[in-house]
Amino acid sequence: MEKACIDINELVNVFSNVHGSIYQSDKLNCFYVDFGGKFAKYNCLSLQKLKKVVEQIDIEELLLNTHRADFELVTFNGCEHIYLLNALEIVALKDLLQGTFTMFKLNHLISDCLYRLVV
Amino acid sequence: MKDLMRIKCLISQDIETLLNQQIKKEAHSSSLYLSMASWCNQNGYDFSADYFTKQSEEERMHQLKLFKYVLDMGGNAISPEVTGIKTDFAGFREVFEDALEAEIAITQSFKNLAAKCHKEQDFVTMEFLNWFLKEQREEEYKARRALELFEVIGEEGMGRWEIDKHVNKISYSEE
Ligand SMILES: [Fe+2]
Ligand SMILES: [Fe+2]
Repeated sequence: MEKACIDINELVNVFSNVHGSIYQSDKLNCFYVDFGGKFAKYNCLSLQKLKKVVEQIDIEELLLNTHRADFELVTFNGCEHIYLLNALEIVALKDLLQGTFTMFKLNHLISDCLYRLVV
Repeated sequence: MKDLMRIKCLISQDIETLLNQQIKKEAHSSSLYLSMASWCNQNGYDFSADYFTKQSEEERMHQLKLFKYVLDMGGNAISPEVTGIKTDFAGFREVFEDALEAEIAITQSFKNLAAKCHKEQDFVTMEFLNWFLKEQREEEYKARRALELFEVIGEEGMGRWEIDKHVNKISYSEE
């Protein structure tokens, strides 16, 4: 499904790191998160929620507390996807999402300059 | 590439976060004023109890105004959790000292928000905030005036009884 989907919907690669990629579909107004062996679809709101959830995980606690599992379930109400991630993977996903949102900001600035403020 | 996040929402994530923090602060103010109203009522300061009840309602209105704005702009407005409301006061005067302190903190918070708007050139939110900046003039004025009654009238003898009667009459006009 993965590569086929990328071709059909002409996805734009928003941001990638060594662990995964996030794509945007201008046709469907949605995003695809290619991470942890999953190729998962998100809309604006759910991608923001995913970022929030990942950022709220206390990685230090995860590593230092010996009375709990070494991985964390990442999901939220209304999210169709569940990730089971260890500390390193959480750091990687956080990096991926933060990079993506930085690219959104950049894209916003560029859109303003190129299309919205043209005299 | 489409600017999807912008299409969804007029305000930036940072501004949205600050506005949600402000929503929480207004909710906190509302609860604090209600707590002050309770203390005043139980200690026989009926006019002050009414004054603080009214202030509490106003803060609730501020909260809802911010809440609506965040939603209207396409953002995610968060209904806040309010904890740690002070319920016991050392005396009548302390209630008013706390009230002024709370209003000063709110003014500062709005200044920070305005500074962020300028930095981002978010003049839409800035224009919305102007109402609150103006409101803080009145809020601080009233809190300060109330506290000044303690100096002018004095707490001795019938002082507190007299102060209580005057608190409800404090009003602010620009002219
Ligand atoms: Fe307020
Ligand atoms: Fe206020």
